[in-house]
Amino acid sequence: MAYDRLLRKRPLPFPLTEVDILSASDDELMTMSRDMGLSMSLDEMHTVRDYFHKEGRVPTDIELQSLGQAWSEHCCYKSSRVILKEFLLGIEHPDVLSRGDAGVMVFDDDYAYALRIESHNHPSAIEPYGGAATGIGGILRDVVCMGAQPVALIDPLCFGPVDRKEELPPGVKHPRYLVSGVVAGIRDYGNRVGVPTLSGGFFFDPRYTGNCLVNVGCVGIVPRDEITQNFVGGPGEVMILCGGRTGRDGIHGVTFASAELKETSDEDSRGAVQLGDPITKEPLMHACLEVNRRKLITGMKDLGGGGLSCVVGEMALEAGCGSEVRLDRVPLKEEGLAPWEIWVSESQERMMLAAKEENVPEILDIFRTWDVLATPVARTIPQKRTRVFWDDELIFDMDLEFLTGGPLYCRPHTVSKPEGLEVDEWPELPDRNRVLLSLLSDLNVASKEWAIRQYDHEVRGATVLRPLTGHINRVGPGDASVIQPVLGRWKGLGISVGCNPWFTALDPYNGGLSSLDEACRNLVATGCRPHSLSNCLNFGNPEKPDRLGQFREAVRGFGELARHLNLPIPSGNVSLYNEAPGGVVLPTPMIMGLGRIDDVRKAVSSDMKHEGSALYLVGKTKKEMGGSLIYRLFGGKGGQVPGVEFDRLSLSMNLLLKAMDKGLVRSCHDCSDGGLAVAVAEMCIAGDIGAELNLGPISGKDLDVALFSESNSRWVAEVPVGKEGEFETLMGDLVQRIGRSGGTKLIAPVAGIDLKVEEMRQRWSEPLAKIMG
Amino acid sequence: MRPEDVKVCVLRIEGTNCEDETFNAFKILGADPEKVHLNQLDGHAPELMQRSLEDYDVLALPGGFSAGDYIRAGAIFAARIRSALSVDLTRFVEQEKPVIGICNGFQILVELGLLPAFEETMSPMPTAALFTNDSARFECRPTLLRNDNRGNCLFTSRIPKGEVVMFPSAHAEGKLLSMDPDLVERLDDNDQIVFRYVDQDGEQSGYPWNPNGSPDDVAGICNPAGNVLGLMPHPERALSRFTHPDWTRGYEKEEGDGLAVFRSIMDHVRG
Repeated sequence: MAYDRLLRKRPLPFPLTEVDILSASDDELMTMSRDMGLSMSLDEMHTVRDYFHKEGRVPTDIELQSLGQAWSEHCCYKSSRVILKEFLLGIEHPDVLSRGDAGVMVFDDDYAYALRIESHNHPSAIEPYGGAATGIGGILRDVVCMGAQPVALIDPLCFGPVDRKEELPPGVKHPRYLVSGVVAGIRDYGNRVGVPTLSGGFFFDPRYTGNCLVNVGCVGIVPRDEITQNFVGGPGEVMILCGGRTGRDGIHGVTFASAELKETSDEDSRGAVQLGDPITKEPLMHACLEVNRRKLITGMKDLGGGGLSCVVGEMALEAGCGSEVRLDRVPLKEEGLAPWEIWVSESQERMMLAAKEENVPEILDIFRTWDVLATPVARTIPQKRTRVFWDDELIFDMDLEFLTGGPLYCRPHTVSKPEGLEVDEWPELPDRNRVLLSLLSDLNVASKEWAIRQYDHEVRGATVLRPLTGHINRVGPGDASVIQPVLGRWKGLGISVGCNPWFTALDPYNGGLSSLDEACRNLVATGCRPHSLSNCLNFGNPEKPDRLGQFREAVRGFGELARHLNLPIPSGNVSLYNEAPGGVVLPTPMIMGLGRIDDVRKAVSSDMKHEGSALYLVGKTKKEMGGSLIYRLFGGKGGQVPGVEFDRLSLSMNLLLKAMDKGLVRSCHDCSDGGLAVAVAEMCIAGDIGAELNLGPISGKDLDVALFSESNSRWVAEVPVGKEGEFETLMGDLVQRIGRSGGTKLIAPVAGIDLKVEEMRQRWSEPLAKIMG
Repeated sequence: MRPEDVKVCVLRIEGTNCEDETFNAFKILGADPEKVHLNQLDGHAPELMQRSLEDYDVLALPGGFSAGDYIRAGAIFAARIRSALSVDLTRFVEQEKPVIGICNGFQILVELGLLPAFEETMSPMPTAALFTNDSARFECRPTLLRNDNRGNCLFTSRIPKGEVVMFPSAHAEGKLLSMDPDLVERLDDNDQIVFRYVDQDGEQSGYPWNPNGSPDDVAGICNPAGNVLGLMPHPERALSRFTHPDWTRGYEKEEGDGLAVFRSIMDHVRG
C-alpha cells in the first residue's frame, strides 16, 4: 500500500490503526480516500487534515471512516442541498407537525400520519432480493421512529425491458432477474412484517437496464400525543441500542450509494448490501412503539446509512449535547470485527432509543418480553463531542459540529433547451384499434397483477380502495389506494405515486410539473384532497453539469407547483449517481402524494359502474405529444412535453372533488400513459362494461391528439343518468361530454375504434404475467 | 354474560401480524380482547405482564408469519405452544371454549393437532398440513366462501347454510392435504367442513376462486366438537362493507361479511 509508512497499529487486543494524515502527500491522501473506502475528494481530505492539525494529533481509522460516512452525498446531500433549499424546502403549512426522519402531518384532531419515500437503488442492482427487502426495512424504521405504526408500503420500481433479448453490458444483470428478485424481496419482507403494500408502479425503459431504481415509501399513523422526536432529551441520558446484532454486512453502504455503478460493483460492493430479517423487525417495531406509548423514552432514531457512526452523533447534537459510547458493549453477529467496522456497519433491524436512567429497567423488560435485544451502549454528555471507548481505551474523540457539518457544494449545471420546441415528428400509426391494443399491452400500461397479488394489500384490514379494482377476479387498474387508518372513524387517507421520467428526460421542468400533477390526479380520482408530498429524486452523477441541470429544472418545476398548491413536503430523499455501464438512468422524480377524504364511503373507484351513464372528460387536451407513449412506441420524435396550468389544475381538483362529494360521479380515472383512449379502455376493463365515444367533429391528427395526447390535469368521469345537468353546471367549461357507457365493446365510430372489452382485457392482462411466469 | 365480560386472548409471537384487526373484531362487538405474547403465558415475562390461559373465554390465533414460517408454516409457533401449554390448551378445548385460527392460525392449529383431530382433542402428531399453493406463490385476492356446515360448527351459527360470504385470502400455503386419502370424506361425514371456495354464482369453480388448489375447495374446517375453527381466508379483514373489494359497485348493509363469525362466537360464549 502506498501509504503504509503513515499507519501505526496501537498495541491493543483489538485492531485499531492510527493514520498519520498530517504528514501525507496529496497523492497519499487520495490513495487513502480510495483504499479505505472513504470516497472523499482531495479538498475534503485537506479539510480533515487541517482539523486534526488543530487538534494536535493524528486520527484513528475509526475517526476517518466516520467522516467518510458523514460526508457522503447520501448522508449530507452536499450536491443537492442548495437546490432543494431554493425550491422544495420551506413550504410552510400549519398541518406539518414534524420534519423528522419521516414527515408528520395532521390527520384529524387526534391522529397524525407519517410519510416518507426513499431509494434503495444500488443495493438492488447488485442483489435485488436483499436490496429491496432491506429498502423496506429502512423505510419502516423511519416511520416507526416518529412513534407511528406503519400502515402502508409504496414501491415504485424502474427496470430495463423484461423481455430484453440483446446482450447486456458487462456486470449488468438481466431485468427479468432483477424484477423477480425485487418483487420477491418486497413480498417476503412486507408480508412478513404485516404492513400492506398498497401503491407503487413499474416503469420499463432501456435506460434503467444497468441501474434499476427501487424506491420504497411508507405511511404510518400515530396519536398526536405520541409523536416522538429523533434526538435525545439532553445530557445524562442513556442510549439503548435495540434490535438486530451488528455484523460485517452493509459496510460502506452510503459511500457505495454515492458513486456510479461499475462493471465490478458486484464483486467490490456485495458486502455493502445489508441482510434483512423481517422476523427481528416485526417485534422490534412492536417493542419500540410500546416503550414510546408508555412515555419511557425521550427520542428514537433508526440506524440506517452510516450505522452507529451517524445515529449517535446526530441524536445528541440535535439536542445540543454529545455522547460517550461503549463500543465493546454492542452485540455482534460474529467475533473479530474491528471497532471501525462496528461503528459504520449498516446491519439491519436496529434502532437507538434515548431514555432517562430511571426508565431503563422497564424498557429492557418490555424488550425481553418481545425476545428482542436491547443494550445500553452510550450516555449523553453536555459537550458537543462524540467519544468512543473500547473497554477503557479512548479510540474516537471528535467535535460533533465538524463531524456532521459536511461540505456543501454549488456545483456547475447546464440546462439545455427542450428539443421538442424545434422538432415534432409525427409517427406512422397503424389503424386505431391496433394502436389502442398496442398501448394497452405495453408493459408500462399493462396489468401489474402478477406483482400486486404477491403483495399482501389487505393486511391490517383497513384497505378501502386497492391497486386493482372492479369485479372480483375481473379487475382493472385503480388510481390512488385509500385506507381507513383509525378504527371507527370514517376519515380516509389516500396514497398515490406520480412520475413521468420520459417527460422529464425531454423537458425536466415540465417533467417535474407532470410528475406532481399525476400524483394529485390519482388522489383526486378517488375523492381524496391532496394534502402533503414526499419525494425520491433519482438522477445521475451531479458532478456532470448536464445531469445536475436536469435535477435542478425538475426540482424547480415540482417545487413551484407544490408551492402553488400549498402542498408541504415534510420529508424526502435524493438519490444521485444512478449511472452504470450502458449509461445514465432516465431522470426520475418519484413523487408520493398523500390525500385525505372526510368519509371513505364517498370514495370513488375507476371501474365503470352502470350502462347508460354519461362520460365526461375533465380538463383540456392539447397537442403535447413529446414523451408520450404513442411517440415512444411508434417512433415519433420531439414534440412539446405537457405543461401544467397551475390555476386550472387547482380549479379542476376543487370542482371534481365537490362533484364527488355530492355523489355526482360514479367512477373516475385519470388520463396518463396512452391518454384518453387508454383511460376509458381501462375503465371498461375494470367495470366490464363497454362505452361509445364521440369526440366531436374532428378527424386525422386532431383525432389522434384527442385520443392519445397525454396532456396533464385530465380525468374521465362517469356521471349517472339524471345527474348530467347538475354536473355540467358545477364543472362549467372544464368538462366536455365524450360519450356514454354500455354494451360489451368500446366504440369510437369516427375514429374507427371497435373493440370487445374482453379482447382489451386479455391484451392488457397478459403481458407481464406471460414474461414473468 | 355481558359482552364486556367475554375475555379474548389474541395470542402472538414475533411475526404474528394480524393481531390488531383480530383484536378489533372482538372490540367492535363489545368484548374484552387482549393481545397476549406467548411469553406472557409460559412464565417468561416479567411478573406484572404474566397471564394465564384459563382466565380467557376465547382463544384467537391471528394470521401472520409466526417466527418467519421459515420451516413449515406455523410449525415453530405450534412447537412452542405444545411444549409450554399443551395441558392448559387441551383443557381449554375440552371445556368447549372457542378457539379460532385464521390463516397462519389455521396452519398452527393443524400443526398442533387440534385440527382435524379425528381421534382425540389434540393429536400427538399433525395428521394434515397446509401445503404450498398450486400457483407456487403468495396469493392476495378476495375469495368467496360458501357455508357448507350442517350445524356442528359454532362459528357459523349466524351464517345461513349455503350462504356465500366474502373474506379476503392472502397466503402462500393454503392447500389442505393429508396422508389420509379419505380426509375430505371424513371431514364431511363428521360435519367438520365449514367453508368452501366458490365463484360468484356459489359454484365450486377452481382457480382463481380457489386460490390454493385445496381439494374439493375446502377453505375452513372445525374439530368434531365444532369449537375449534381453522380457515385460510381472513374474516377479520371484512368487518366493514368498505373493506370489501367491490363495495363501490353497490351494497345493502354497512356491516362486513366477516363480522358474522365473531358474532357467532359471542353468541356461544354468552349462551
